[in-house]
Amino acid sequence: MLELIKWLNEVPISVWLREMPYPFPIIETVHILALGASFGTILWVDLRLMNVVMRDRKVSDVVEQLEPYAIIGFTAMFLSGALLFLSEPIKAYGTMAFRLKAVMLILAGVNIWFFHRGIYTTISQWDRAKILPWQARFTGFSSLLLWLESSLPAAGPLTSNGVSEL
Amino acid sequence: MNLVQFFPLAVFQWCQHTAIGAYVEHSTWVFAITETIHIICLSILLGATLLLDLRLLGKGMTRESIVTLSQTIRPWIWSTFVGLVITGIVMFNSEAVKMSRNRGFFLKVIFLLLAVLFQLTIHRRVTSSNKSEGSGSAKLAATLSLCCWLGVALAGRSIAFF
Repeated sequence: MLELIKWLNEVPISVWLREMPYPFPIIETVHILALGASFGTILWVDLRLMNVVMRDRKVSDVVEQLEPYAIIGFTAMFLSGALLFLSEPIKAYGTMAFRLKAVMLILAGVNIWFFHRGIYTTISQWDRAKILPWQARFTGFSSLLLWLESSLPAAGPLTSNGVSEL
Repeated sequence: MNLVQFFPLAVFQWCQHTAIGAYVEHSTWVFAITETIHIICLSILLGATLLLDLRLLGKGMTRESIVTLSQTIRPWIWSTFVGLVITGIVMFNSEAVKMSRNRGFFLKVIFLLLAVLFQLTIHRRVTSSNKSEGSGSAKLAATLSLCCWLGVALAGRSIAFF
């Protein structure tokens, strides 16, 4: 694995991203805005699944209306994040914060995939239910937790370059 | 432009010498934790504003009425705003003198004041009635609000580069 990371570090685009003054801040800005769009929309789906907000609205209404933005935001965040990683692979790979964050993010993705494949296929039965199935509540809760946790390493001395000082 | 052109340096020195400022300045973890809370609050606030503004623009959440949606979302906006300001002040106090000379921070304060101003005036008016549906003022309010909050986030990001 380390060999691969070392090789990545020397790829021309990696060197370019690292040595030019502008790419990093610009990509990082895109990354943060995309994070806002994805977390900001996924948050409301999670809170709905946990029955915290919009309790009188159909679950599917909330999911359908927000998902396009969440997907666009997530894709942009993932791509810009990959470039940020590429700009200093060795540094990122070596930080515990980055590893944690990557794992949390993958888990968040798996979580929502399971939700769609699983309990969401029977949405018509509980779309307006007073008490949502535990799988739905669990998805909301765990998704929120994973998102918050994956944002934690973003701050402070743990990271190499961090999203600090926002 | 920076803050120290408008306020005497002594103000910032005083901030930095307050108990909070001095404590946070010399502790790595308190700053990191405060910053984390700050970022979480910011994401929620941006997400909440984004949702409401998309609704005003007619681009998202169109099955909900403007008034209901804004009633659902407003508490989240203001509670995270309070969280942001508190954590912001804590971080500011720890490096007040440095921030007073930082152009990025100055920009951020300006955008923040504009954002709050719009939020309390045009934005509040268009979200208090469903009649503003699709109106020019609703779209203007949403665009201004999005621009100001983006400005806050971007200027905040630029602090590290100035």
